[in-house]
Amino acid sequence: MEAFLPIGILFLFAVMLCAGIYVLTNLLGPRIFQKNKLSTYECGVQNPLFETNARLPFKFRFYLVAVIFLLFDVEGAFFLPWALVYRESLQLGANLLIAMLVFSVFIILGLIYVFQNNYLNVD
Amino acid sequence: MDLTELSIVSIKTLLIYVAFIQVVPVMIWVERKGAALIQDRPGPNRVGPFGVFQPIADALKFLFKEDPVPKEVNRLLYNLGPFLILLPSSLIIAAIPVGDRVELFGRDILLQVADIDVALLFFLSISSLGVYGILFGGWASNNKYSLLGAMRSSSQVISYEIPIALSAANAVMFYGTFSLRQMVMQQEGVLLGFLPNWGIWFQPIGFLVLFVALFAETNRLPFDLPESEAELVGGYHTEYGSMKFAAFFMAEYINLATASALLVTLFFGGWHVPWLSDSWLLLKLGSQNVVALVQVAMFLAKISVLLCIFVWVRWTVPRFRFDQLMHLAWGNLIPLGLANIIVTAILLYFFEGR
Repeated sequence: MEAFLPIGILFLFAVMLCAGIYVLTNLLGPRIFQKNKLSTYECGVQNPLFETNARLPFKFRFYLVAVIFLLFDVEGAFFLPWALVYRESLQLGANLLIAMLVFSVFIILGLIYVFQNNYLNVD
Repeated sequence: MDLTELSIVSIKTLLIYVAFIQVVPVMIWVERKGAALIQDRPGPNRVGPFGVFQPIADALKFLFKEDPVPKEVNRLLYNLGPFLILLPSSLIIAAIPVGDRVELFGRDILLQVADIDVALLFFLSISSLGVYGILFGGWASNNKYSLLGAMRSSSQVISYEIPIALSAANAVMFYGTFSLRQMVMQQEGVLLGFLPNWGIWFQPIGFLVLFVALFAETNRLPFDLPESEAELVGGYHTEYGSMKFAAFFMAEYINLATASALLVTLFFGGWHVPWLSDSWLLLKLGSQNVVALVQVAMFLAKISVLLCIFVWVRWTVPRFRFDQLMHLAWGNLIPLGLANIIVTAILLYFFEGR
């Protein structure tokens, strides 16, 4: 674990930078109250809908993209430990190569399925 | 770990961190001058010679501006947003080896914040945390433009994560390790008598996939849909002002520097001087510290070349449409990355198999 200690130190420095930015900009900047300045930026359109809440339901497709990403990212994560030992395992024959080829066939089938159903067309 | 060692590590960490933050003002100036060069106009030329102090003037101006918080926002997430982007982009600096080692005070000091075995995994995982900052910033602003920008940005960033993971798997397969330091060690010397022994000769497709995907990860121009100012005003940072707005750009430029550093480490020999081996350098220069200086300079030079390419591409290539962007990731880069892994595995089997 000692190798990870410098990352903690770097984290402290980064937090100090963020806090410094936040505090300095609040200390140095002026504070002038104005009603229009605090309203939501909307190109001058006076629409009561915008002023209260912009968080309307969005398209289901974005959620679908996130789910597909999750599946493929897990598959990508499976590649990493395999890749780590692959070169050494070559002394023992082609076992890992064949296993990975079978796995890739499944990934490619999944990719074809995603494209067949047009899941990624967000617009 | 005793106190002297702790202070040495702290000072080293601070130096490397400050060096990477220094990239931000330099890159702002280079970007504006590069844009001016390409678009045939003078660019910044008022503050200092050739406008080199322009970024400092900008930063001071940002600091002395009011930081308004619109009344409809979610205050906590709104204030957290920019810093949640800045934190991960600062943390991934830890994984990057900027040089071999120096001998000071009778100790060997590695020129890397943390020499961890899983450096590449650390890089991938921490860099993807930046999505939260974008989402928080966009959602908390309670503005249509911000929300749309954040949604676009998050779906873009997560889509391009997979090609990055695939091409990283390819590099891991080739080098047989997760440690970026070990990868650089393996890229020393000369290949075939006339080429520098760089990873790019062995995995050109991996380089191409990673290069394109990193453009999208850093929200640079061919893929800058999240902040396409013509449609979305400013994307997820529309409602931000003052130094919080600048924090988004600091994070973007630090990301740019670390992305270039990752490319240099994986494919361009890291800190190694092309064609020359470290032992030869040590023999000629005499001292390990001088060798380390040369190595760091070499690393900086390689990063600078890549950063210039980033600027050059930004001001030359027009923006993608959103469906084209998604299709490039899922239809082209992911199959290319998969095919690259399969072909590399089969080739390795034929060359090194039993």
